[in-house]
Amino acid sequence: MGWTESLRFRLLAGAAVWVALALMLAGWIIADLFQTHVRQRFDAELANHLEQLAAVLETDADGRPALRQPLSDPRFRRPLSGLYWQVGESAAAPLRSRSLWDSVLDLPDDRVENGGLHRHDAAGPANQSLIVLERFVLLPERTEPIRIAVAADRAELAGVTRAFNVTLALSLAVLAAALIAAALIQVQIGLRPLSRLRDELTEVRVGGKKRLDGTMPTEIRPLVEDLNALLAHAEEVVGRGRLQAGNLAHALKTNLAVLANEAGALDERNARAVGPAMVRQVELMRRHLDHHMARARAAAARGVPGISTPVADCVAALARVMRKLHAASGVDIAVDVPAGLLFAGEREDLDEMLGNLLDNACKWARGRVGVTCRAEAGGMLSVTLDDDGPGLPGDSREAALEPGVRLDESMPGTGLGLAVVRDVARLYGGDVRLDASPLGGLRAVLRLPAAAG
Amino acid sequence: MRVLVVEDTAELARQLKQRLEGEGYAVDTAADGEEGRFLGETEPYDAVILDLGLPKIDGLTVLRSWRRAGMAVPVLILTARDAWNEKVQGIDAGADDYLAKPFSMEELLARIRALIRRAKGHASAEIACGPVVLDTRTGRVTVDGQPVELTAFEYRVLSYLMHRKGQVVSRTELTEHVYAQDFDRDSNTIEVFVGRLRRKLGVDVIRTVRGLGYRADEP
Repeated sequence: MGWTESLRFRLLAGAAVWVALALMLAGWIIADLFQTHVRQRFDAELANHLEQLAAVLETDADGRPALRQPLSDPRFRRPLSGLYWQVGESAAAPLRSRSLWDSVLDLPDDRVENGGLHRHDAAGPANQSLIVLERFVLLPERTEPIRIAVAADRAELAGVTRAFNVTLALSLAVLAAALIAAALIQVQIGLRPLSRLRDELTEVRVGGKKRLDGTMPTEIRPLVEDLNALLAHAEEVVGRGRLQAGNLAHALKTNLAVLANEAGALDERNARAVGPAMVRQVELMRRHLDHHMARARAAAARGVPGISTPVADCVAALARVMRKLHAASGVDIAVDVPAGLLFAGEREDLDEMLGNLLDNACKWARGRVGVTCRAEAGGMLSVTLDDDGPGLPGDSREAALEPGVRLDESMPGTGLGLAVVRDVARLYGGDVRLDASPLGGLRAVLRLPAAAG
Repeated sequence: MRVLVVEDTAELARQLKQRLEGEGYAVDTAADGEEGRFLGETEPYDAVILDLGLPKIDGLTVLRSWRRAGMAVPVLILTARDAWNEKVQGIDAGADDYLAKPFSMEELLARIRALIRRAKGHASAEIACGPVVLDTRTGRVTVDGQPVELTAFEYRVLSYLMHRKGQVVSRTELTEHVYAQDFDRDSNTIEVFVGRLRRKLGVDVIRTVRGLGYRADEP
C-alpha cells in the first residue's frame, strides 16, 4: 500500500530496474572485451621481445651464446622490473637479463621439436607471477638448439585491467544516474495531464466549471469523455429529481388542503362521515408517494451504461418473499427462469416491477402462480407471470394499468402497482401487457431490454 | 398471547399497544433496538412487531441476532421501507411477514393473528376444542354455538391454552404469556382465572395436570 501504488513510483522503479540490468550487462561485456584485448597486446609484446632476443643472439669467441647488443627495453636492465629474458637451460647457469638480478627463470622441462612458441606460467623473483614465452633457436656454429625465453609480470596485466574496470564502472554509474534522471523527467512530463485533470475536477467540484474541457492526450480523452457523461447524467438526475419533488409536493398539497378542510369541519355529529373521507385522502397521498418514489428510483438508474441484473436471482429472491407474505393462502409458485438471462438495468427496478406483478399474482391466485422468462429477438427478454385467479375481462385490462385505478377495493394494495410497473418498464424502453392466462387467471408479460452475458 | 412491539415512534407504539391490548394481547414495547433485542432474548413472546429504522441497533441486525441465537418467534417487520429489495432483505434476515407503513390496523391485526396461529400449528382461524370454539379473528368464544362473555385476561388464558391444545402448559409459562412485563404478576391469580373460565364454559376442556400445569383437551 501507499507509495507502491503510486504511478510515478511504478514507472520509475521499472525504468531503474531496466537501466541497471542493461548497464550491468554492457559493463560485463565491455570488461571482457577489454581484458581479451589487453591480453593479446601483452602476448604480442612478449613475442616481439622474444623475436628481438633471437635477433641479437650470437656465439662469442668461446662458443658461448652472447648478445650482440642489449635489448632496447630499459626494463630489462632495471632489477626486478617485471620484464626478463633468459638464454639457456635454467639448471646450467644461463645467460639472463640484468633485471633478473641473481635469480633464474625456473622453466619447466620442455623439449620441443618443432621450434614453435611455448607459453608457461612460472614463479619469478620477489614472488612475481610470470607469464613466460619461450622457443628454441639454432645458433650458427652450434649443433644443439638453445632455449631462449622472455617473461613478464602478470601483475602488470591485472593492474591495467583493474584500472580500466574502475573507470568503466564509474562511467556506467554516471550513465545510469543520467538515464534515471531522464526517466524521472519523462514520468513527470508524462503524468502532468493527470494532475491537470485533477485540477479541473476540483474546479468542477467547487462549481467553477460545469465540464472538463482541457485538451487531454488520447489515452486520457475517453476518461474525460466518460467523466463528462457522468457529470451530464448527474445533472440530469438532479434536474429530474427536482421536477419529481415538485410534482409530488404539488400532488400532496391538494390532498393536504382537503384534509385540512375536513379536519376543520370535524365535530361530534359528522365524525362518521368525515373519518372515511380523511382515510381516503391519506390513502391517495400514499399512492402519490409510492408512484413518485418508484419513478424517481427508476429515473435515476436509467442511462448508466453497463449495468445488468440476473433475472433468475431476482425472481428466486422474490419468490422466497412471496412464499412468506402469502403463507396464509399457501400459494404454489413455479419458477422457470434459465440462469444467464440478464436485464439491462438496476436490480432495484427489476425487483420493483417483478415484485409488484408477482405480489398481484399471489394475491389473486387460488393456488398456483407461474413465472417464466425467455430471451427475445431484438435484444429484449420477456418475463411472463401467470395465476389461476379470477383474471380480468379484456376491457378492464388496459384500465388496470392506469395510475390510481384499483379494480377491487376489497383487496389490500395501493392500486398503483401495475401503473408503476408500466412506468418503470417504459423508462427502460420496455412495456407490460395483460392477457388471459392458460392457468385460468391473469397473465402479465413484462418486456425489458436484455444485457449481453 | 404476548406480543413485543419494537418501534421508536412513540405515538405509533402507543397506538399499536392500545389496539393490540384491545384485541386481547399482552403487549410490551421497546423504543430502540438495544432494548428490543434484550426483551426479545429474555421474554417468551408469541409474536414480535419490529420496525427497521431503530435507534442504537437497526431492526435487521436485531432480527439476525435473534435468528442466530436460534429464536423461532414469528416476527413481522413494520416499516416505511417498502421497496421490494428491502422486503427481500427483511425476509432473508428471518422475518415471517412484512408490512409497509402506512398500514391499516386491521391488516396488521389479521397478519399477527395468522402468524401466531401458523407458529402454533393451526391452519384455520377458528380453533375448536370439543364444543368450545375460539375465533381468533373476532376474539369470540362459543360453546355449542352459544357465545360466552369473557374478560380480557380470561380470554388470554383460554386463547393461549387452546393455541397449545393437547400440550401441557405450566403455570409459569401461562403467566409469562398472559401478562406484559411491567405487570405485577401473581401466579395464584392464574388459578382464579382458570376456575372462572371453567365455570363460564361449563364444559371440562381445561384439565389440571398435577404438578405440571394445565392442558386444553377435548372433554
